[in-house]
Amino acid sequence: MPEFNIRSDSVNVEQIMEQIRARIREKRGVDYTEEQIRELAAVKLEKFLDPRGIRSDLLDQFRKAMPAYEPPVLPNYSFEADTLFDSHRGVIRFFRKLFHPFLKLFLFNPNPLIQALNIQARLNTMYAEREATRESSRRAMDQLYYELIHNLVVELTRTGIEVKNLKMRVESLASRLEFNERRARALESAVVYRPSGDDHPPRPQQTPTPPPIQIQQPYTIQTATPTAPTAQAPGGYAGEGPGQRSRRRRRRRGRRGGGPGQPGQMSQGGQVGQVGQAGQSGQAGAATPQRQIEHSVDERAGGSSDSDDLARLEDDGDPSGPGSDSGPDAQ
Amino acid sequence: MKVAIVVQRYGPSVNGGAELHARYIARRLARYGEVEVLTTCATDYVTWRNELAPGVEQVDGLTVRRFRVKHERDPRVFGRRQQRVFEQRHSIGDELDWLDAEGPTSPALVDHIAKYAGEYRFCLFFSYRYYHAFYGARAAAERAILIPTAERDATIGLSIFQPFFRSVRALMYNSPEERAMIHAVSGNASVPGVVVGVGSDVPTNSQPGRFRQKYNVRGPFGVYVGRIDQNKGCNELFEFFENYLKEPHGKLSLVLIGNSLLPIPKHPRIRHLGFLSDADKFDAMAAADLLFMPSYYESLSMVALEAWALGRPVLANGKCDVLKGQCIRSNAGLYYENSSEFVETLKAIEQNRWLSGTLGRNGRQFFREHYDWPVIERKYLDMFDRLQKETPRGTVDALPGWFERRRQELPAAEEVLSKLPTGPIIQRQSDSRRRA
Repeated sequence: MPEFNIRSDSVNVEQIMEQIRARIREKRGVDYTEEQIRELAAVKLEKFLDPRGIRSDLLDQFRKAMPAYEPPVLPNYSFEADTLFDSHRGVIRFFRKLFHPFLKLFLFNPNPLIQALNIQARLNTMYAEREATRESSRRAMDQLYYELIHNLVVELTRTGIEVKNLKMRVESLASRLEFNERRARALESAVVYRPSGDDHPPRPQQTPTPPPIQIQQPYTIQTATPTAPTAQAPGGYAGEGPGQRSRRRRRRRGRRGGGPGQPGQMSQGGQVGQVGQAGQSGQAGAATPQRQIEHSVDERAGGSSDSDDLARLEDDGDPSGPGSDSGPDAQ
Repeated sequence: MKVAIVVQRYGPSVNGGAELHARYIARRLARYGEVEVLTTCATDYVTWRNELAPGVEQVDGLTVRRFRVKHERDPRVFGRRQQRVFEQRHSIGDELDWLDAEGPTSPALVDHIAKYAGEYRFCLFFSYRYYHAFYGARAAAERAILIPTAERDATIGLSIFQPFFRSVRALMYNSPEERAMIHAVSGNASVPGVVVGVGSDVPTNSQPGRFRQKYNVRGPFGVYVGRIDQNKGCNELFEFFENYLKEPHGKLSLVLIGNSLLPIPKHPRIRHLGFLSDADKFDAMAAADLLFMPSYYESLSMVALEAWALGRPVLANGKCDVLKGQCIRSNAGLYYENSSEFVETLKAIEQNRWLSGTLGRNGRQFFREHYDWPVIERKYLDMFDRLQKETPRGTVDALPGWFERRRQELPAAEEVLSKLPTGPIIQRQSDSRRRA
């Protein structure tokens, strides 16, 4: 008779389940089972609540510690009108009843006593019933409270774990986002400013550093390198001859006075300062494609349009900063 | 060969896994010899009220002897005693009191077995947890074959059952998980035992179209068959299926068949059809894309076997060792342990027709190899042959005396249960391993 064994068909349920679980883990990040969550809950409770003697398995402990409630049988008595004169012997009962009027007449009247004891007996019964009801409802509420606390602990732990998990995911996403932003900026600049190989062959010292850093470079160079005046001519670039600066200025002025600007290019070129601003002025822009290419070549060569602008500002005698050079020069 | 089937309730109107199991086995074994059913007059498993007349009657062509139950079950007393033996340190006397409170307490049935045991070659006792099996098997220990139908609940941890499992002649287990659990708790590995289970009379000409037309069911759907009860994991099924309904691509509906003890969620894709005839049930299972089996405690899921017989995959609760083991051994079903797994496994079955078809085919093959009637019958007959050749072992131990019964030294049943190994049994050819 065949015993149970695995059939080697093309489907393997265990493998499929592993794949499904892996997919779930991918979706959810850390995948805790209910047992793990309960375990974690227990650990937390032990850690924080044990000093006060509270167990982690609150509900179970509570149920074990608290036996099923049965209302206690309280001692009581019944007191009716003839209780005082009652007897298991009929003759005695008869004589007691017979002499009752004499008792009332010569000794004392027992009726108020009988009445009081009767009321007391009834009060005792009512009190016992009410107490039993209260006790049972209190116990029922206790059960609910304990269950509530237990559930709260589990839910709180689960929430804590989820929060931790989400925090990690947020951190991961933030770092990815930052990386992607930097990458996008680098790619954008590379696409816009890449010179075509026919027009400008790349210079050997060219380095593809991101534009924002290049923007900052001239400022830092100018302010941070006063101890190296020999590397840079005053107001110009290092290695410029005496006539070069004025020639360059004339060439630039000539170009700016040329044909209409191309706002699209200018606004992209706006990253590098004045070109964009020239475009914003709405006047005929001087930033022709050729100019842009030159611009990028300057940047890659280690210079910058900003450094160029600084030089121009010095020439124009306008100290109001880069924004002001859209004025007379641009026009 | 005359065989007695001893079961707590018996009759065509009696619902319940073990009872149906006993009925199937009685009818099948009647082909090979005389079969007599010994049972009680009760039909309700909660109260054990005597509702049928005592005496002999014929049911399905078999002789059925009914005996009166001495007292009905008092739920309060039973609950109190159960709480004591399951959760607290207790004595053997407490366990025997629990058994008496659980019922069906029928000393007349036990007396009959003790008196006439010699007339039967073997007595097959169903459901170890009840009074009739415990005392009946003691009365006819040399002929007692036990079909424990044990689930992984605290009852298995009670001390009175440990010698009981060792004292019978043989055990017919429903699953390898059940066998491993009983071996672990009682150390009865030397007692002859075989994993058998039970077959099913699945029709070969089920008509899914007829079901769809009759109940106006359209589109793909998964079916749940059985009592709609919290104990069967239906609450969880509803919760998880509602999570699945939030998935934009899911198209499956849930069709529920069976009497409900729970409120059914109001949703156009959840339909409750109530109790159906066997023909409609099988048509529904044939029309379904898969069967849901959310129960936590099963010794053998007959519905899952029926689904496999019809070539339908099963999505089972992975926290039930037996169901998980069946799915893995058959390669015919997936299982879940939480909501995410439920949704993902359901989507996998729904969206991969290839997977669904292969699981169904594997299920059909698995059923044919292990649960077809000829296989089941052969296992019973082989066991009878084997036991006839072997000489019975010694007599069963007497129950402890007055003082012994009152010693409060037994651990809580739940404590015993928690120490038992868990996990499905997966056997690859001769190699078997137990995974925790």
